Amino acid sequence: MAKLHENPLTKRPRARARHHEEHVEAEALFTSMGDGAITTDEFGKITRVNPAAQQILGYSEAELLDEWLPKKIIALSFDDSPINLIDRPITKTFLTGKPISAKMYYRRKDGEKIPVAINTSPIIVDGKPLGAIELFRDITLEQEVDRMKSEFISLASHQLRTPLSAIKTYTHMLAEGYMGKLNSSQKKSLNTIISASNRMNELISTLLNITRIESGTIAITLKMVHMVTIIEDVLPELIVMAQAKNITVTLDASDNARNRIKTDSLIVKEVVTNLVSNAIKYTPDGGTVAIIVQAQRSDIRVEVRDSGWGIPTYDQDQIFSKFFRGQNIVKRETSGTGLGLYLVKGLIDALGGKVWFTSEESVGTSFFFTLPRANQSKTPGDKEKAIFL
Amino acid sequence: MSSRAAHASVYDQVVLITHSYLGPAANRFIARQVTNHLHKAPGDLSPADLLNLTDWIRVAVSLLTEDSNIVEEYIAELQKLALSYEKRKR
Repeated sequence: MAKLHENPLTKRPRARARHHEEHVEAEALFTSMGDGAITTDEFGKITRVNPAAQQILGYSEAELLDEWLPKKIIALSFDDSPINLIDRPITKTFLTGKPISAKMYYRRKDGEKIPVAINTSPIIVDGKPLGAIELFRDITLEQEVDRMKSEFISLASHQLRTPLSAIKTYTHMLAEGYMGKLNSSQKKSLNTIISASNRMNELISTLLNITRIESGTIAITLKMVHMVTIIEDVLPELIVMAQAKNITVTLDASDNARNRIKTDSLIVKEVVTNLVSNAIKYTPDGGTVAIIVQAQRSDIRVEVRDSGWGIPTYDQDQIFSKFFRGQNIVKRETSGTGLGLYLVKGLIDALGGKVWFTSEESVGTSFFFTLPRANQSKTPGDKEKAIFL
Repeated sequence: MSSRAAHASVYDQVVLITHSYLGPAANRFIARQVTNHLHKAPGDLSPADLLNLTDWIRVAVSLLTEDSNIVEEYIAELQKLALSYEKRKR
């Protein structure tokens, strides 16, 4: 005898009931979630809005439904200029095929500008894109905490610099023998102090630079310089670091890459030092690091390619985030702050350039940056340029 | 004609149609759509991919313009292209 649950007559109502239950669960989840949630159809028209989204944006559900999302929900950059359609996360989701996370500002119905963290994903059913879902949350409080943290870091860094200068001066004097000859054990200990104080000095410089970038007060001095010369200037120190791991560092520049560009050489040195030292740090002994400089039509491109451990796919979205360190790296290399690439991104942005990477775990990573040949450095007031397509 | 050349021509035709709507961005836009959504090299785009590609293009372009008539007109041209390949196959 067939069991009741196998009875074809009872199967369909059960499936329907299950489907209904799932629908109710999904509905409850959508409605009760703390983050704002908006879905669109394939034409970008808003199809659903949860209460949190209505609260954050100040619009009622009726005011949002069937409206074209990019027009109804105004996205702004920090300087109040509207975010270009191409740069909006929901558009990027469909241009790249990937979920996109971003921080920007939304204009509420009452005109107030609120900072939001946004995540967007395409809605795909049976391989067909039916629209998108955008989740967002108000990050006003987070931003305020971040601002206070930056202020604290800036203050603390300045206060640390003064005693550190004294430590460095006196340790160098000791090392040079100004206060008497040192035995080998004393020299060894002193070198450890010098090395540690150098690291601390670098960390303070990084923190100060980050604070300047975040507050929009970084000073940029544009001069005509040779990119290759800038790289050659910082290489000797980096090669010493590479030699300790038996890593080969090469510099390859096309002829036209030797032309001059208008940029800030100190900032570029900081960027190159960060990228190459990272490449050395995250490459196993005996590996290679290649620096390739190429001139393009309107900019100059630098690639730092290593044969290192690579960045796992699941970490790649966050690689330019503050304090972020790859999970595979944390296991191998305990030192590091997770600030280097965040700083690099901020510095390149400030110079009007672009930075990106490609990576394959256990194969290696290539970091690229481009800088405009002419002066196009971005000041905090400059409008974002849409070059996504 | 080699199959490789035939595939390239599908891609070129899609870009040609797109050029009327997106101008010089057409090539890059279509290349990205093919690579990111169909997970293929642009040169490997085949007639069988056209309808799927059209679905993705519809959503992407709908977020760049509010004018759904233009989107529909563009999509109709792509569908016409897909249909012409379908007819040839028969």
